[in-house]
Amino acid sequence: MIELRNLAVHYGRVAAVHDVSLTFEHGINCIIGSNGAGKSTLMRAISGLVRPSSGSILFEGEPIENLSAKAIVERGIAHVPEGRHVFPELTVDENLKIGAYLRRDSAAVKRDYDKICSVFPRLAERRKQFANTLSGGEQQMLAIGRAIMAAPKLVLMDEPSMGLSPVMVGAMAEVIKSINAEGKSVLLVEQNANVALSLSSDAAVLEQGRISLRGKAADMKDDEHVRVAYIGV
Amino acid sequence: MQFLIETLINSAMASAASALVVVGLALIFGVMRIENFAHGELYMVGAYAAWYFGTSLGGGYAVGFVAAVMVTAMIGVFMEVFLFRRLKENPMGPLIVTIGVLLVLQTAAAWLFGVNSNLLVDSPFAGAASIAGINVPWHRLFVIGAAIVLLGGLTVLLRTTKFGWALRAVAQDKDAARLQGISIGAISLLAMALSAGLAGAAGALMAPIVRISPYMGQPIIITAFIVIILGGIGSLEGAILAAIIYSTFFTFISAYFDSTVASIAGLCLMLLVLVVKPSGLMGKAQKV
Repeated sequence: MIELRNLAVHYGRVAAVHDVSLTFEHGINCIIGSNGAGKSTLMRAISGLVRPSSGSILFEGEPIENLSAKAIVERGIAHVPEGRHVFPELTVDENLKIGAYLRRDSAAVKRDYDKICSVFPRLAERRKQFANTLSGGEQQMLAIGRAIMAAPKLVLMDEPSMGLSPVMVGAMAEVIKSINAEGKSVLLVEQNANVALSLSSDAAVLEQGRISLRGKAADMKDDEHVRVAYIGV
Repeated sequence: MQFLIETLINSAMASAASALVVVGLALIFGVMRIENFAHGELYMVGAYAAWYFGTSLGGGYAVGFVAAVMVTAMIGVFMEVFLFRRLKENPMGPLIVTIGVLLVLQTAAAWLFGVNSNLLVDSPFAGAASIAGINVPWHRLFVIGAAIVLLGGLTVLLRTTKFGWALRAVAQDKDAARLQGISIGAISLLAMALSAGLAGAAGALMAPIVRISPYMGQPIIITAFIVIILGGIGSLEGAILAAIIYSTFFTFISAYFDSTVASIAGLCLMLLVLVVKPSGLMGKAQKV
C-alpha cells in the first residue's frame, strides 16, 4: 500500500531521516520510536508537508513524493498530526466539514458526517462549540473524525495516544480498529509501543532517523531490545 | 444637543470607513502574517478610481464604486502573486515590499493626477436628511449603511461558506489546513483580493466626503495600526470593535477640542488598553 524507498529528509543540513526503506500492506501497521527519532518527519514527508531530500514514496504503486499536500489528500491519504492540531476557533461542526474540503459528493459527505457523530456522540453534543473548548481526548477524536471526513484509504496517525488517560487510550484503540474494519488502512506512529504493537500486523522501529528493526508486530513484542526500550518491562 | 447628535453621526461614519479598512488589514495579517503598509494606499487608489471611472469618464458613482473595488482587488492579487509569494522565505521581505508598493502607488497618483488635486466625486445621494432638526447629508448615512452591509456580507462569507472556513483554518493553523487539502496559495490570493477590495470600497465610499490626494492613505494607515493593536492583532471582531471605539473617541475629542489633541488622546487610549490587556481587546496571548 505504502512504500518508502531510500527516503531521506533534511532540515537545512541536518538529516532527520536517513535512507529509510519500508513497505506496509493494507491493515494497521506501526512505526515505533522515541522522541526525536524522526517519526513525525516521516509522516510529514508522506503527506507532503516537507519535501524529501532524496528517495521516493510510493502510494498504491505510484510515486507521490513530488505531489502537493493537496494532491496527496486527493489520492486518499489523511494525516492526524501529532498534538491534534484541530482548528481552535472553528466549531466542532466546521472542523469536521473542513475535513471534507476537497470532496464534491455532498450526499456521501453527509453520510460520513452522521456516521462520525454516531461514533463520537461527545462531538455531536458539542457541534456548535469552538474546538478549543474540548478536552484533550475529545480533540483527538475530533482530529480523527476530521481525517475520516476526507474519505481516505490510508490514515496516518501521529501519536494518537499522547496525553490521554488509560481509559481514553483504550477507546482510541477501539476507534482505530473500527476504522480499519471499514477497509481503511492505518499507519500508526507511537512512542507507546504496547498499544501500537497489539493493534498492528507489521511494525518497524525507527531510531535516530534509521530503521533498526523490522518485522511482525507480534514478534516484536517479545523482542528483548523493544521490550526494554519501548515497552519498559 | 445638535452638536452632540451631529458628532455622533460623524463618529458612526468614521467608524464605518475605518472598520472597512482595518478589517482587511487584520484579515491579511491573520492569513499571511504580513503587515501591509500599503493598505492605506489601496484606500487612496479606491478614491481615485471612483473619481476616474465615475466622474472623469462619466460612468456615474455606482460604476466608480465597482471599478474602485476591482482595481484595488487586482492590485491585491498582483501583490500576492508577484511579490509576497516570491518572498515567502524572507522574513523581512513582505514588510519591505509593502513599503515599496506604498511609495509606488503614492507617486503614481501624484504623477497621474497631480499633488494638489481638487477632484470632486458627486454622490448619487445629494442633499441632506433632517434628523431631529439637524441636517445630515444623505451620503454620510449611505456610508454607514454600506459598511454595515459589506461587513455583514464578510461575516456571512467567513462563517457559512467553505471558503470562509478554509480562510479561518489557514489563519489558525497553516500545516493543519494543508493537511485538509487547502491550498495556502489560493486562499492567500483570495484573501488579498478581499482585503484590498474592502480598502478600495472604503476609498470609494469616502471619496465624495474627503479631499482626494495622493497622501490621503497616510493618516488612515496610522489609525488602522492603532486600531488593530487596540483590537488584538489578527482578530477581525476585535478590529471592528476597536475601529468603532477609536473612531468615536477620536471624533468626539476632535469635535470638542481639536484633532491634534485627539491624536494624542487616541495613542494614550491604545497605551492604556495595552497596559491593562497586553494582547488587545479581543486578542489572545500568543503561545511561544
